[in-house]
Amino acid sequence: MIELQGITKVYRTGSQVLEALRSVSLTIARGEFISIMGPSGSGKSTLMNIVGCLDTPTAGEYLLDGVNVAGLTFDQLAAVRNRKIGFVFQNFNLLPYATAWENIELPMLFDGKNGRKRRERVTELLNAVGLYDWRDHRPSELSGGQQQRIALARALANDPPILLADEPTGNLDSRSGEEIMAILTELWRDGRTIVMVTHNDHIAALSERTIRLFDGQVLP
Amino acid sequence: MNPTLPLFFWSEYRKRRKKAALITFALFWGTLSILLLMAFGQGMSAQFRVAFSGLGDTLIMVYGGQTSLEFEGLPKGRPISLYPEDVDFLKERIPEILRAVPESYTFLQVSANGREINRTVHGTTDEFSLMRTQVPRMGGRFLNAADVAEGRKVAFIGWKVAADLFGAEDPIGKPVVINRVPFTVIGVLQKKIQDSMYNGPDADQIYLPFYAYSQIDNRRRVNQIHIQPREAGQSKLIEARVRTLLGRKYRFDPDDRYATSFWNTIEDAKQGLAIFKGIEIFLGIIGALTLLIGAVGVTNLMYAVAKERTKEIGIKLAIGARRRVIVQQFFLETLFVFAKGTFWGFVTAFNIVYLIRLAPINYDSFGIEAYLLRPVFSLQIFAAYMVILAVLVFLSGIFPALRASRSNPIESLRYE
Repeated sequence: MIELQGITKVYRTGSQVLEALRSVSLTIARGEFISIMGPSGSGKSTLMNIVGCLDTPTAGEYLLDGVNVAGLTFDQLAAVRNRKIGFVFQNFNLLPYATAWENIELPMLFDGKNGRKRRERVTELLNAVGLYDWRDHRPSELSGGQQQRIALARALANDPPILLADEPTGNLDSRSGEEIMAILTELWRDGRTIVMVTHNDHIAALSERTIRLFDGQVLP
Repeated sequence: MNPTLPLFFWSEYRKRRKKAALITFALFWGTLSILLLMAFGQGMSAQFRVAFSGLGDTLIMVYGGQTSLEFEGLPKGRPISLYPEDVDFLKERIPEILRAVPESYTFLQVSANGREINRTVHGTTDEFSLMRTQVPRMGGRFLNAADVAEGRKVAFIGWKVAADLFGAEDPIGKPVVINRVPFTVIGVLQKKIQDSMYNGPDADQIYLPFYAYSQIDNRRRVNQIHIQPREAGQSKLIEARVRTLLGRKYRFDPDDRYATSFWNTIEDAKQGLAIFKGIEIFLGIIGALTLLIGAVGVTNLMYAVAKERTKEIGIKLAIGARRRVIVQQFFLETLFVFAKGTFWGFVTAFNIVYLIRLAPINYDSFGIEAYLLRPVFSLQIFAAYMVILAVLVFLSGIFPALRASRSNPIESLRYE
């Protein structure tokens, strides 16, 4: 369960102060599928980063499964990102030098899983996203839709309960986008919590609940 | 550390290693320099030791002299000579002495095989061979105790004497006439390098049993007495006690520096070795500085890599890499870059040393090549090199690695 209480994030660059989030409170239940919408600069990405433990709030409290994230060290946060949260980015963020297989394997390497477990899981995920035959290809040799499916497989490597998707279809053609959304929906049906940022109303309509952000605040 | 991570790092490094080609060469060159310089330094030290031991093994030589101080009413300027019985006199009274032998010599006519030459002929005893590195060539031997006790007419000759008199023939068992007295050759000195000598190199000398020699040279006094201490550290003590004992026997002031004189090769060797050790260290430092240039290259490369990979580091952090993993990866990549260049440098240096050592040394005109052509590739050099290398790897890797690990995941992800 994700509980945000009065989350505020302030960026300071020189004399400029930017309030990216202003006292955002939000509860996301286990197994929920929610989408976050809002114009550019409304704080969607900042909120995702905080939820994803990539960033820490300036003020407020974030409880992830009852644990206050503010009290965790850099490496403890890394472990949370590794096991509890899977990320899917708009621009895929695959390692360019690594093959599809290696990209998917990476989170399990960081988790210290043994070779047999990793092989089984990577094979299973590649089959699930229909790219087993592409396992030895590098991201530059794959289409956008294929890259995003590899990125999804990587996000699922350690079987995290939460998936965070930041405009997962933003860089894809509509057919590929639909494929990705189909996989996400299926994952949600399997019981995963999904938090997705999107600009697209049709895609947002697939979720159970939509949160709208404006100027760093949640619109009622 | 998870053993699979280094494998993953290795596979990542392999994809990028072409960029490290020039730096690999710098490391190769640095390694080659440091190893060769140290090998030559140590080789020179070792050859100095060998050349010095060509004269003898921890030797103190005692000579007679002339008094320079008045003593108990006796005037100065009295000659002091040593006699054969002084050998036992000193040995019995100084327990620190391991061996002591007399030696007398004079320049005499020597003929054999129809050839005639003039050489320095020595009279001494069997233990001389142990003290003065007189190793016989195969098939022969040095004087033994029976030769000495019975005053046998036998001779041990240097390899140049053998060549001058007998050419390529084997001289063993052949007669040689010294000052009109016939002797039988029983041994020829094996070739050796010798940088210190009196009366010329041992290659040109002829050695006879002491009492056989006495029959062709009727002086009773000996030219010198060789003393070998039980421990090298006792050489100064022995010198002082010899001076005191001889002073009591021949009535001169024990503080008289000219009544007797000493050649303490142990002290000489100490100084010589200190000089060569200094050269060795100096060469090692030059080598280390050369390797340092390569290491600076690696640091530079790793900084560039850290910047270039900002985004990758961001991705890794986002999917759960701990700081330690990033640091480890940088260190291991630094190590991989080092490993390649240094490995080939090592192999090349090893082979160069091996090949140079195959070159022959001319024992007859012992010169600079005897020092240069015998570089040594020792465990000690390897250990020194590994320590220097480890320090350089650490210093080259640590700063880029820390910089990379301090990155903020969000900023790194945004980096293009």
